[in-house]
Amino acid sequence: MIIAPASLQTAAERRIEDGARLVWIFADCVESQTVLHYVVEQDGQLLDLAGPLYDSARALSQRIPAADWYERELAERFGIKLDGLPKHRPLTKIVPAQQLLDVESSEVSTVLYGPVRSGIVESARWIVETGGEDFIDVYPSMFFKHRGLEERFVGLPIELAPFVAEHASGATASSHAAAFARAAERAMGIEVPDRARATRAVLVELERIHQHLDSLAKLAEDGSLSVGSAQVFAAKERIHRLLCDATGNRFARGVICVGGTRGDVLEPLRETCARDLDLAEHHARTAVDRLIRTQSFMDRLIGTGRLEADLITRYGAVGPVARGSGVSSDVRTRDGFLYTPLAAEEAIEYNGDAVSRALVRVAEIQRSFQLARNALDANPTGPHFVRPSITNGAAIARVESPQGELLYFVRIADGVLARVAIRSASYANWPLFVPSLPGNIFTDFSFIEHSFGAVQAEVDR
Amino acid sequence: MSWIGYGLRGGILTTKYPKGDDVMPLRYRGEVEVVRPSAQGGEAVAASCLSNAISRNDGLTRVDRLRCFQCGECTRVAPEVFQVQPHFELAMLADTPDVTFNELKKRARAFGRSVHVRHVDAGSDGSEEQELAAIFNPFYDANRLGIFLTATPRHADVLIVTGVVTKAMAEPLQRTYDAMPDPKIVIALGTSACSGGIFRGQPNVVGPVNAVLPVDVLIPGTPPSPLTILHGLWVALGHILARGVDR
Repeated sequence: MIIAPASLQTAAERRIEDGARLVWIFADCVESQTVLHYVVEQDGQLLDLAGPLYDSARALSQRIPAADWYERELAERFGIKLDGLPKHRPLTKIVPAQQLLDVESSEVSTVLYGPVRSGIVESARWIVETGGEDFIDVYPSMFFKHRGLEERFVGLPIELAPFVAEHASGATASSHAAAFARAAERAMGIEVPDRARATRAVLVELERIHQHLDSLAKLAEDGSLSVGSAQVFAAKERIHRLLCDATGNRFARGVICVGGTRGDVLEPLRETCARDLDLAEHHARTAVDRLIRTQSFMDRLIGTGRLEADLITRYGAVGPVARGSGVSSDVRTRDGFLYTPLAAEEAIEYNGDAVSRALVRVAEIQRSFQLARNALDANPTGPHFVRPSITNGAAIARVESPQGELLYFVRIADGVLARVAIRSASYANWPLFVPSLPGNIFTDFSFIEHSFGAVQAEVDR
Repeated sequence: MSWIGYGLRGGILTTKYPKGDDVMPLRYRGEVEVVRPSAQGGEAVAASCLSNAISRNDGLTRVDRLRCFQCGECTRVAPEVFQVQPHFELAMLADTPDVTFNELKKRARAFGRSVHVRHVDAGSDGSEEQELAAIFNPFYDANRLGIFLTATPRHADVLIVTGVVTKAMAEPLQRTYDAMPDPKIVIALGTSACSGGIFRGQPNVVGPVNAVLPVDVLIPGTPPSPLTILHGLWVALGHILARGVDR
């Protein structure tokens, strides 16, 4: 929907006041004219409010916290003037350590946590102000891993672009490739065959299983539950082996393409799953069941990193983070692309702490096995691929990735990609990490971090 | 039943590799082999390779293992020229004269039988970390080989770097390297770390790891499988020769 520049922000604001959720703000540049997009979700439907930007626009973040990171990124990275944007420490620009350590008060010490941290973790920095054990304030400093991924798409032919999307987050490559492919297909007005949809559904569900297992195993590791974490990691490994057997890559990369899938992957998936899926499910289920029945471990999570439902709504969080606080947010119940909609079958927990988020993941693992089986059993016949006829256009599409709602904006001009923008679930959830910390102590940090299960690569892009 | 009982009841899952053999599934896209190097048609495919891994010189088509990110697109466009092989032993020694098998062996001797590894993410896509973590799961159990993770660079013998080095990560990476005691071994893990992969020459990146640090061993793969990583570590510690290397 194209809206005149003067009323663009007002139009977005009015819808949000009427109960719509702010999903995304991003900028595009069409024929050297900057265009701002405000994406909101109203009654389960996405609405893209777009309009040209002249000189400057009004910032929304003072009244709508969900706009905060999007607007800061627009201002810092694209130099877009936003009136009334609160002054912050930079989010995307790296400030030299010396500058950050100028502390006025001697009671508070500033700790720079990252970008190189202990263990096998992705690089990110948290600037922590602490009085000893308690968190006083925390500032995120992101984009250490900024590779220029969105820029890498520009000028690429459509058929090679899913490989770039898979680099946005290698561990959730199927979700990214599916979201990109769906946006491109919409932009060109293509319907993919049912067989390709079923294949994509299987891959995305299996991906959800291995990523949820990864997140649970890391929590167990944080709780020094070595055997528990080893068993859950072993269950994850079984899914990777199954995917490698069927698709040739342990993360099923290189399968999803615009127009369907590369090669008929459903047949090998059916073969491999008929052989191995039951065993994989058995191991995943028994390991995870034991985990949530281990009281010493669960005690560590109870009340940790609590987020009220109100906070979730105001910040626009998605995925297991939102569902752990009782807020419905599952693309699968709204869009019928990969799946037939699941008629309000969402895993919801209400306590909003690390336990709730873990329990949501546990329930989703079980459900994902079921969804993968449904798609395998449906086994739609017909082609797995239709060759797209490349036409110009633009569209937004979304997929429920393991971290939550993942959106891609794709604009095709002159037969190649002109702009691709990514709104990852991790990006939508990270702003809530800071409000989840007060009241917790320093050693809770990694528990809360892993209960979010974010992928830094898809935040920094 | 206790966790320990539960763990024991699962039996031994662990591979014998690298002391014994293991294989990857037949469909695994480990390495692209040029089955007919002199065949025509290589040029068209070379143009469609996203990471420019395919080159054509003197009428012969070659695939650069360090640049290939295993998408398999070439094998679909020209199956008569390119074929995927499920090879997983992909690690290579850095192409500098002072990195040799004997040199690595000498350095590794100083580590004794327990090697401590420090990891730094310089700009990965997030999957390399998960595969690196996987070498410690019960299926691969790198601890049995005396390989351990360490949180501090001061205790580290081996530095494993994942991802293409972004501008912001170059300095933290250099500082981690400087903080490690000598002798040390540097491993670039993943295609992006080895050659820059699809981000080679992009304005926001410095380049592959060897643009910042002296890399000893390169482990390509997007992401490298855990077996590939074990092989790479075994090469780096001077236990076996990298394939096709005689120095």
